Amino acid sequence: MSVQSEISAPSARRLDSKALAKLSIRLGAFVAFGGILLYFALTARGFTSPYNLMTVVEQSAILGFLAFGMTIVFAGTGTDVQRGGIDLSMAANAGLCAAVYAIMMREGYGNALAIPVTLCTGMAIGLLNGIAVVTLQIIPLLGTLAVMNIAAGLELTLTENTVVPVKTPLTKVIAFGSFMGISTLAWCLIVVSALLVWLMHFHRIGLRLYAVGGHLEAARAAGINTGRYIYGAYIAAGLLAGITSILIISRLSSSTPGTGLMLLPILAAALLGTVFSRRFIPTIGGTLLATLFIGFLANGFQLLGISSYWVAGVQGALILLVVAVTSFAKRN
Amino acid sequence: MSIKASAQNTKPRMPVSLETFSNYAIIAAFVIIFIAFSIIADGFLTGENMLNLVSNKVVLLAIVALGMTIVIGAGGIDLSVGVSIDLSSMVFIMLIAAGYAGAIGIIGGLAAACCVGIANAILINKLKINPFLATLGVLFIGQSIQRLSTQGGVPIYLTRSEFSATFEAIARSNFLGVPTPIVVMILCILVVYLALHRSVFGRYVAALGAQAEVARYSGIRVPFNLSIVFTACAMLSGITGILLSSTVRSYVPFSGDAFLLDAIGATFIGTAISAERRPSVIGTLIGVFLLAVMRNGLLLIGWNFFWQQVGIGVLVFCVLGLSFGLKKRSE
Repeated sequence: MSVQSEISAPSARRLDSKALAKLSIRLGAFVAFGGILLYFALTARGFTSPYNLMTVVEQSAILGFLAFGMTIVFAGTGTDVQRGGIDLSMAANAGLCAAVYAIMMREGYGNALAIPVTLCTGMAIGLLNGIAVVTLQIIPLLGTLAVMNIAAGLELTLTENTVVPVKTPLTKVIAFGSFMGISTLAWCLIVVSALLVWLMHFHRIGLRLYAVGGHLEAARAAGINTGRYIYGAYIAAGLLAGITSILIISRLSSSTPGTGLMLLPILAAALLGTVFSRRFIPTIGGTLLATLFIGFLANGFQLLGISSYWVAGVQGALILLVVAVTSFAKRN
Repeated sequence: MSIKASAQNTKPRMPVSLETFSNYAIIAAFVIIFIAFSIIADGFLTGENMLNLVSNKVVLLAIVALGMTIVIGAGGIDLSVGVSIDLSSMVFIMLIAAGYAGAIGIIGGLAAACCVGIANAILINKLKINPFLATLGVLFIGQSIQRLSTQGGVPIYLTRSEFSATFEAIARSNFLGVPTPIVVMILCILVVYLALHRSVFGRYVAALGAQAEVARYSGIRVPFNLSIVFTACAMLSGITGILLSSTVRSYVPFSGDAFLLDAIGATFIGTAISAERRPSVIGTLIGVFLLAVMRNGLLLIGWNFFWQQVGIGVLVFCVLGLSFGLKKRSE
């Protein structure tokens, strides 16, 4: 951006304004986000209260974690959903992990055993995705779809499609605890985002992962073990699904069927996140913004008293609007 | 790539190359699974069960999957097939409930589905949104439309006898001894087959799917063809919606969503039979039959719904692993 404005600045004022217009279109996503926040702040009573803002951040933690997993997979395999990678099993995996944790708690195992087993379940499903996509070379969309069926089926067999209540000190702390005035769930989101931003954008692992996702052959030629990175991306996504499952259980005090339905919101958040990045690639920060965007939209509608029937539609329309604005920017 | 290829040439050639075999792996797996179920599942290989399998499991999914085949063939994806199914079903049932003739209902339903396709086309062509996000947005909007028009998702049941004649005529009638839904499916298969594999339009679709930019530079009218592709997919889903609601004599909101992942799965399973891994009508039909046979067979050997899910996932995983893994080994 700075290079462009430096070039255009000395030439003519007309060009300068053109660059400015470009910049504003490019920032369209941010403007849209800010505009909507401003609108809610002005019209929806109680929107700006710290309590409400905190609630939205808390609610966004679950969607955000899962969307981070999807973002990592997208970063390592490219956002072309047909040919590139995608992890359809993400939501079903979180559901399966939640079922595993809830059942182990019901059977009387302690957290010391249940948490590692839950996280390992998540990573095992991730490993299965890796086997499908890297070793067997199945199209990711299809391979992870099969894995999604397996995970969803296992969840159903474990819970027999019922609610399995869980109440432990740990889940209570996650759901209701707070530290320095910020609740545990919000802390989880902040810490994990910071960690992932560091790992993905300031560490060589992230750089190499982006290289693999950007151009597989080039990354391989540069000496990166591409298969291992893609395996890693899927396993990391699985691990995040495992962690999320514990948050889900804490919020709902149970393992509840229907976690698999989060798949589309996860995809929406991860793909919408690309419009917040300068080069329109999936980034952790972008995904975080997109998740909060979706969260604030739902919250704002609720406060304005708009019928919940409208929420999905207006969310869809706004997502389309933001994406359309940025796709115009892309062409310029 | 070239180094690998030359290395391969020095290997002794097998009578049937691994690559050729990998293309037939799906068909072989289908035959093996079919034979296995015929042996172990009582009542699997009976005329009654086969007719039930085709008319209940295959017809609806096949028509949606045909639409998905066109879209995926053109390099896109349509997540809004569920919306096309539901809106078509909703308008159809509402018109019938309002006392209109069946034909008006069908036209209304197809028009609703057509609108979904046109909306997708506008978003993709005019606003340049990628198909995945565009159809995802339409999916969300479609869910809202259904909630708003049914007070939050209340199903509409038309079980009274005054409506049964219309539904009988669509779902229960025979045409030359073949149930009408199956006739409709065969017609759809023929039309899509001719359009995709025997027409200029089909070549354009293939070009779009292979290299959209190259297709544009070679003078193919990309927006026009994409519009047809997405509208066709929505219309085929609309036909499914009408068949579905005539069969169950009701409109249940969001019931179309169940078809989405199966349709995508069937289409991509079908890509395994072509050497270039491209979607084709024949491949998609094999995918649809594979899914239907697995479901039906697992049900007949007494697995409950939960284990069926796991079973299908594992079977699909293994079949694809075989097909794609062999393909990889052969390269």
